[in-house]
Amino acid sequence: MPRDTAIDRRGFLKFAGASAAVATTGLAGCVGGDDDGGDPLGGDGDGDLEITVTQGTFATTVDPQDHNDTPTYNVLDQAYEPLLYRDAEGEIVEYLASDYEQVADDQVRFQLREGVSFHSGDDLTAEDVAYSINRTVDDEVGIVSPQQDGLSGVESAEAGEEGTVDVFADGPSPAMLANFASFGRIVQQSWMEEREGETIREANGTGPYQLEEFEEDVRATFTAFDDYWDADNTGDVVEVTFEGAPESSTRVNALLAGETDLITDVPPSETPRIEDEDGMYFESIASTRVIFLVMTNDRAPFDSQEFRQAMNYAVDVEGIIDELLEGFGEPTSQPTLAGHFGHDPNVEAYPHDPEQAQQLIEQSGYAGEEITLHTPTGRYLGDEEIGRAAASQIDGLENVSCDLEIRDFGDLVSEILDGEMSTSPGFYLIGWGNPTFDANYTLVPWFMPGQASYHFQNDEVEGLIEQSEAEMDEDAREGQLQEVNALLNELAPWVFLHNQYSIYGVNESLDWTARSDEDILAKDISSA
Amino acid sequence: MALGKFVLKRLLQGVFVVWSVITLVFLLRFMTPGSAVAFVAPPGADLELREAIAEDLGLNDPIHVQYVDYIAGLLQGDMGYSYVSGTEASIRVFARLPATVELAVAATLVAVVIAIPLGVVSATRRHQPADYGATFFSLIGISTPNFWLGIMLILVVAVQLKWLPTSSRPIGLGPAIELLVFEARPEGIRIWARHMVLPAITLGTYFTALITRLTRSGMVDELGRDYVDATRAKGLPETLVRYKHVLRNTLIPIITVLGLQLGTLIGGAVITEAVFSWPGLGTLLIDAIRTRDWPIIQGSLIVIGIGFVLINTVVDMLYAYVNPRVIAE
Repeated sequence: MPRDTAIDRRGFLKFAGASAAVATTGLAGCVGGDDDGGDPLGGDGDGDLEITVTQGTFATTVDPQDHNDTPTYNVLDQAYEPLLYRDAEGEIVEYLASDYEQVADDQVRFQLREGVSFHSGDDLTAEDVAYSINRTVDDEVGIVSPQQDGLSGVESAEAGEEGTVDVFADGPSPAMLANFASFGRIVQQSWMEEREGETIREANGTGPYQLEEFEEDVRATFTAFDDYWDADNTGDVVEVTFEGAPESSTRVNALLAGETDLITDVPPSETPRIEDEDGMYFESIASTRVIFLVMTNDRAPFDSQEFRQAMNYAVDVEGIIDELLEGFGEPTSQPTLAGHFGHDPNVEAYPHDPEQAQQLIEQSGYAGEEITLHTPTGRYLGDEEIGRAAASQIDGLENVSCDLEIRDFGDLVSEILDGEMSTSPGFYLIGWGNPTFDANYTLVPWFMPGQASYHFQNDEVEGLIEQSEAEMDEDAREGQLQEVNALLNELAPWVFLHNQYSIYGVNESLDWTARSDEDILAKDISSA
Repeated sequence: MALGKFVLKRLLQGVFVVWSVITLVFLLRFMTPGSAVAFVAPPGADLELREAIAEDLGLNDPIHVQYVDYIAGLLQGDMGYSYVSGTEASIRVFARLPATVELAVAATLVAVVIAIPLGVVSATRRHQPADYGATFFSLIGISTPNFWLGIMLILVVAVQLKWLPTSSRPIGLGPAIELLVFEARPEGIRIWARHMVLPAITLGTYFTALITRLTRSGMVDELGRDYVDATRAKGLPETLVRYKHVLRNTLIPIITVLGLQLGTLIGGAVITEAVFSWPGLGTLLIDAIRTRDWPIIQGSLIVIGIGFVLINTVVDMLYAYVNPRVIAE
């Protein structure tokens, strides 16, 4: 790419990586590579793109099973792959598994794809897959993986005959396949066991790119893997570097100066700068994250359904999206987002109706109540401003007053996630991402007892969710989940705010489409 | 001998201060709300998994056990493992230290190179345009917030004029020098320097303004002393009077302030590092605070604390060497 600084930087990455402190490591575990700048991926494009992606935060680790955050997935997913994945539309597609079947309610059998090899040169085996799954779900195998919950219900995996792997759950597990499309990256057993107990600073996956340099906390550089199993379906990128820059203005300026090609988490207010710059564009898409105000129903006034509904009528969600988010958001009506399994399309969002809100407050018997909304700052797009607007609109009602408390996110979530409803604030703003596209991943943590963020006691809701967790018939399960969502709209445990958008800045030389699950795969990028 | 005793005393004091910093930083974890488990655990983790993670991180042990373990570890150079990444805290902290030190030293150099001549000119041409100019510069420099200056420099110099890069330093000084020495390639130094200019100016501006003022007032004081008249009466040229005698005496407090400021810069470059996405201790610390990654927070603060104590001790020693009355006091 015709950029001096970028060429400069790339030219020195290898040297810097090899020479800097111990944390900067050249990767012996990775083999192959393409030094002559050709197109090892064999795609139909030019195959000569060297790009830089700058995220708000960098990868926290190189261990694909020892994290659970999107920026780390984005970096490591260049090298590591799951059995199943999702296409840009959210449909499940086969990756390292070429086929799968539900052998029993609590058992799934995966047939592994043939001709897949690790970057080390060794072939993928069923034992590797079984080990990877067990390492994710079983504390006794290597690590306590933060991804355990993503494969919720999975007890163990066993290598079968002829490239098959059997996965066993602790009971009927209808969401298991959906979970495998989001979690469970595959590692090589022998390679990982050799490094057990050590800090891993190398990578050895089956993905389209192999890790060349990893400078902890700073950058990771990948180059195309010659023997990638799906080389026919890759774009033009032969080298991709991921960096992290926490300041949004730093990311935008780096893009405008041509030092990076793709940036994440662009604030809405910065989109005109990108749009006005020649050779740049911004890309936005509804993400899998929903933003809402939680009302804990173990206390007054949130134990009243009328009061909770009143809060929904009081907040002008459309206005917040238009004014504060500059249109980058969609109002929501239920915990499950549109397009996700179990969403009820017939449920309408609450309109902004302060009169109705005041009437409902009178009916609830809590007129004159003083409440406080707790909101984090800097965690979600415009969170503090959204909290401020919501509190002000509620406070504008004649028969209730609402204060705002700005909270450090860590402080707030520690109170929320300790499993005690009584220690949570009664009213707070939070966001929830659902990478599985299945209502179960949202409903269980928030509405089932025993879960850390449980905040709403309701027998009917709990009964319906429990039923859906054991229902193996897909249509019946969808109906049950839709019923829960419709019921929750009526019960109003949350003030349903909006579906957060992901906004990216992109160099026009790239042909790339943003995904709702926030994943960035270099193999999907081509020359424009 | 007296100097030896003085140095020993200062070193012992330094050890005590470092131990106090370590203890305070350790205790901070228990005084600050917010648990690391909330960040390490996935959002949907049930209580059982959260408990397992807390156990795995050693957070369930009594405070005194954790404290003794921590001190024992530190004595062996072990700062623990990052809660978030599982990597050794000491490696991550020390990997970031050179970038911060380079930036702090560069900012100090910017300050020295600009501020001392400016202060001298300002003092020797009092109430003339050069003095007004230097005073105005000092006022602006002291009043300009770092983050604003950094962003403005990026917008103008990097984005609009494209003279220098905006952020993301690709190579450190050490590797750049190795490249020059072992491969005779000077590009590394050039790239390093290009990335260093804007952050060093940003961080050094306040400091430059401060030293300019200090130099000016020191020079003005000294120029009014009797010995200056005596040197002039001896027939020494004015340049020699100003630079050999007056400036030299003015430099003593400036060196003290330089040393103290260098210590402050190592810990105080957080905002500048964030604006330029500089891979130093400041950005590491911000990330660690955001995720309650206590081993990294503790490690960073301890290294910053030790750096500060070391620089102060060295300055004290230098000061004692230059001015033996300090030892007697």
